[in-house]
Amino acid sequence: MMWKSVVYKEWLKIRWFLIGYTLLGILSIGYLFLTVKHGFAFTGGKNIWNTFLFLGHQFFSPLKYVPLVGGLTIAIAQYFPETVNKRIKLTFHLPLGENKALLMMHAFGAVSLLLSFLVFFGMFAGFSLVYFPVQMVTDSIISISPWFLAGFASYFLVALIVLEPEWKFRFYYSVVGGFFLTIYFAPAQTAAYGPANSGLFVLTAFLSIALLFSAYRFRKGEM
Amino acid sequence: MNNVIECNNLTHYYGKKRVYENLNFHVSEGSILGLLGKNGTGKTTTINILNGFLQPRSGECLIFGENTQHLSPRTKARIGFLIEGHIQYSFMNIRQIEKFYSGFYSKWKPAPFWELMSKLNVTPTQKISTMSCGQRSQVALGLILAQDPELLILDDFSMGLDPGYRRLFIDYLREYAKAENKTIFTTSHIIQDMERLIDDLLIIDFDGVLAQTSVNEFMGSFKRFDFVLENDKADLKKAPFVVNLDKVKNKIELYTYSSESIVKKYLDDNNITVSNFAQVKMGLEDAFIGLTGKY
Repeated sequence: MMWKSVVYKEWLKIRWFLIGYTLLGILSIGYLFLTVKHGFAFTGGKNIWNTFLFLGHQFFSPLKYVPLVGGLTIAIAQYFPETVNKRIKLTFHLPLGENKALLMMHAFGAVSLLLSFLVFFGMFAGFSLVYFPVQMVTDSIISISPWFLAGFASYFLVALIVLEPEWKFRFYYSVVGGFFLTIYFAPAQTAAYGPANSGLFVLTAFLSIALLFSAYRFRKGEM
Repeated sequence: MNNVIECNNLTHYYGKKRVYENLNFHVSEGSILGLLGKNGTGKTTTINILNGFLQPRSGECLIFGENTQHLSPRTKARIGFLIEGHIQYSFMNIRQIEKFYSGFYSKWKPAPFWELMSKLNVTPTQKISTMSCGQRSQVALGLILAQDPELLILDDFSMGLDPGYRRLFIDYLREYAKAENKTIFTTSHIIQDMERLIDDLLIIDFDGVLAQTSVNEFMGSFKRFDFVLENDKADLKKAPFVVNLDKVKNKIELYTYSSESIVKKYLDDNNITVSNFAQVKMGLEDAFIGLTGKY
């Protein structure tokens, strides 16, 4: 029953942000493939093929920061209300372990983001297969994967920053986190991130528990 | 009688600023104890330590025998906590917030919550953020009552409330606590409110505990004597019975635990001539100021 209540509260906080973000993401992907279709219709398949294969043009590059925006949006929607008037105290007072409560909240946010990303991924793969061969679609997915991992990383980092009780530390975390996120966005040829993706995945997974440190500092009485 | 709360040798500093050192107190089962003190004497610090939101520099507080730094979920379910300013999830409406909390407490009783809500002029779908401070206080109180905790910790419950809501809050709370044998630990800036609510008091100052006793005993033993000195140079501060002394020109307000005869005997023995000697009846607020001083 407790997990249902946790999910219920988190849903109330993020629902409109999640729905709005997902709709905007769907529109972005729709617009991306409208552009692709437009390219095929007006410049011809041969020309498109040439720019993609030999000139290195990445048709999916407009999606670069879409997952990042999602991570930021959901993290702020979920954790900012907890810091207003130190409302996180209410969560810590619930009859379940403090870390358990936070990790349940965090898991809900991450799963919500994942569902949204799965919709984008599905649309992207589906539409790509209409226009491009499988090899090209696979390479494109390898290229956009770090951006989606960056979406999760930004979610985890913003949670850490927002829950941190001291402004000085928030600033430090923001600077370090900002530099850290650039790892996911280094310019690279299509599919060049292939060997790095598993490492980035592990790194992102480690970040998922970073907010426990801010919560620990809050409970120690740092302010 | 069992102690629900027990704090031993509690010491805390913010940086180099001492809040208190070796503070000891306890709260017995079924009692309503008010923690009184001026600003900065450590009331909210104590509440934060009790709720595990602050680690004291040394010493410990136990609630139901558990260290408050590591309260188990089972013990937390036995404690109702009102945050200063009646903070709750203001993005929820009253139906949503009742549904949310009911999932956490096995003894959840929705009736007291809805009974209190029916007294407010709000709709079930009205967001808490759109309610007045008084209405929000009733929501927070209703949730605590529905939780049916054995111990209630209330941090400055009267903050932001108009007299009507303060009275409603206190009367409802006291009736509930006495009927159900609940223990309450509370702070408030408004001492008149405390007077209506509490059985026992704990008065702290920058030097530690000034008084821990029942309100009746304190009010019966702590006295104020007013008089006028014939010679305004007379120094009474060194008198052994003086707890506090307020002197304006030759008019004296003397606060003491001693009797009128002891005070008068001291004055006679030291050839201090006074006029208009009278014991002044005090309320709890007067006594609090008398004990702690105006500054």
